[in-house]
Amino acid sequence: MGEERIRSQSESRRVSSALLLETHGLTRHFGGLAAVNRVDLRVAEGEIVGLIGPNGAGKTTCFNLLSGFIRPTAGTIRFDGEDITRLRPHQVVKRGLVRTFQLTTLFQELTGLENVLLGLHLHSRRSLGRALFSRRRFPPDEVARSREVLEFTGLASQADQLARNLPHGHQRVLGIAMALAARPRLLLLDEPVTGMNLDESGRVMALVKTIRDRGVTVLLVEHNMKAVMGTCERIVVLNFGQTLAEGSPAEVSTNAKVIEAYLGAGLAHARG
Amino acid sequence: MRRLRVGVLIVLGLLLLLVPQLGGDYYVHVFALVFTNVILAASLRPSLTCGQLNIGHSAFMSVGAYASALLAKNLAVPFEVSMLCGALLAAVVGLAIGYPSLRLRGVYFAMVTVAFVEVIRLIAQLWVPLTRGMSGLSGIPKPNLLGVTLATKASQYYLALFLMLLTLLILWKLESSRLGLIWKSIGMADNLAQSLGVNIANHKLLAFMLGCFFAGVAGAFYAHFIRFLFPPEFGFLMATNILVYNYVGGRGHFAGPIVGAAFLSLLSEPFRGSAYETIFFSIAMLLTILFLPGGLITLPGKLAELRWGKSASAHSPSPAA
Ligand SMILES: Nc1ncnc2c1ncn2[C@@H]1O[C@H](COP(=O)(O)OP(=O)(O)OP(=O)(O)O)[C@@H](O)[C@H]1O
Ligand SMILES: [Mg+2]
Repeated sequence: MGEERIRSQSESRRVSSALLLETHGLTRHFGGLAAVNRVDLRVAEGEIVGLIGPNGAGKTTCFNLLSGFIRPTAGTIRFDGEDITRLRPHQVVKRGLVRTFQLTTLFQELTGLENVLLGLHLHSRRSLGRALFSRRRFPPDEVARSREVLEFTGLASQADQLARNLPHGHQRVLGIAMALAARPRLLLLDEPVTGMNLDESGRVMALVKTIRDRGVTVLLVEHNMKAVMGTCERIVVLNFGQTLAEGSPAEVSTNAKVIEAYLGAGLAHARG
Repeated sequence: MRRLRVGVLIVLGLLLLLVPQLGGDYYVHVFALVFTNVILAASLRPSLTCGQLNIGHSAFMSVGAYASALLAKNLAVPFEVSMLCGALLAAVVGLAIGYPSLRLRGVYFAMVTVAFVEVIRLIAQLWVPLTRGMSGLSGIPKPNLLGVTLATKASQYYLALFLMLLTLLILWKLESSRLGLIWKSIGMADNLAQSLGVNIANHKLLAFMLGCFFAGVAGAFYAHFIRFLFPPEFGFLMATNILVYNYVGGRGHFAGPIVGAAFLSLLSEPFRGSAYETIFFSIAMLLTILFLPGGLITLPGKLAELRWGKSASAHSPSPAA
């Protein structure tokens, strides 16, 4: 019943063409290997879409392509109607497409607050004059905004800790907080709950839903099936760089080809 | 602790003001050169913080030195203008070198800067009509500041002190602002910085040009202070020394290159210009790498650790909330 509702909802979004992200024949070769192979990805505004697949399926490569870190061999990427295929990473972020990293990537020697302040980069009024003549290190409104983001992600008490001293779970969340500070319209999360216990991953997935409810579209890569099935409204399955299946969590998890792909790759990955 | 640090700085400042009164011309001369070395070392820091190994800083000093000297000598331009022109020219040359090469990673950029030292040296050596080549450029006027010629060594000393303090103030303000945070972020994880919208190519270029500008300032002062320029002076040895100041002083804090430059240039003074100079700097670098990887600025902390036991300085791990 609930599933019906969600499907019809995403259907109606597609009809109303509030398409935020759209790729056509997205392809990337590494030598002879087609890491991403003619992928047509569509994400509508307001969705939480899961991007899953066995190890090496091409999920992270997809993210690297979408965020401008690598150039596609072929295909196009449109974001909010604009062709962003050839843009560089910082230009992609400017348009509201922000990604996180699979391997924990933080500014290790900076505090939690400073990390988030850097997330505000694009929204900060900065100039050489301000740097030279202001008595404050950072504008108070930016510090306040960063603290809000830390509060929202449950990291308020860690604001003054060096990132490298944070426990693993908090480090992962800090990565999300920084991306949020950049004010994304589409947030690409690469395995946000890797290495977390049940409790922590539950909290992060709840956070992801809250983020969506606040108007941010989410594309989520994750091996933890419980997290993916419980959070995403639509799931795209990649295998060997190609789209294997697409549909609701129920459809995907009963799809014979998907089950085979995961069995082929070993069940361990599917469980996460 | 903070009060102690401020106190030390005030005493140090007073001592520096009194050097011309307390010491003779020799000390005035030595200290003025120490100040130029501090400017050079500190101005390399923004680029280093961005993770760019610039082993060619002396070339930009050379550009500033020759430009300012030639303007003053041939066109009677006052020091404040010739210095600014020299510094700006160094920054523009930095733009020309940095724009194509800062996209290169790590060691390739370093190689470009090393090669550039030789290019500048050869230009200075071969453009004889302008630079007098290997005969050296002599007859450079004393600094003529705001219409007043600084004739005495002591007055030139105060000029050097002023230029150093101004440079340090500007660099410190920038480093402790948002801009400095961006430099650090690029040095720590450039891909993450990009993912947050930082145009890393532009910021690396800006940091690099800023360094070139102040290297040009140091060069301009040097030219009018020594009043003789000789192309090989600004060679590979000086370039690596500037780098060594940063590493021996310490990379972790703004004070690092200042301490490194002051310490090493005072200590190496007896060997200046001799073959022992190279040996001295090599040993200093080696000792630092082996025994004090964080540089001299971490020495007080290390000593406190020895004295009070490890517990005193060990930071407590964050409580898992
Ligand atoms: N820079 C690269 N150079 C060469 N091959 C690469 C590169 N990046 C990825 N690949 C290859 O492309 C394929 C897809 O890798 P990718 O990291 O996108 O997989 P993934 O779906 O994210 O896997 P995982 O779940 O393990 O993170 C793999 O075979 C990988 O080895
Ligand atoms: Mg991956």
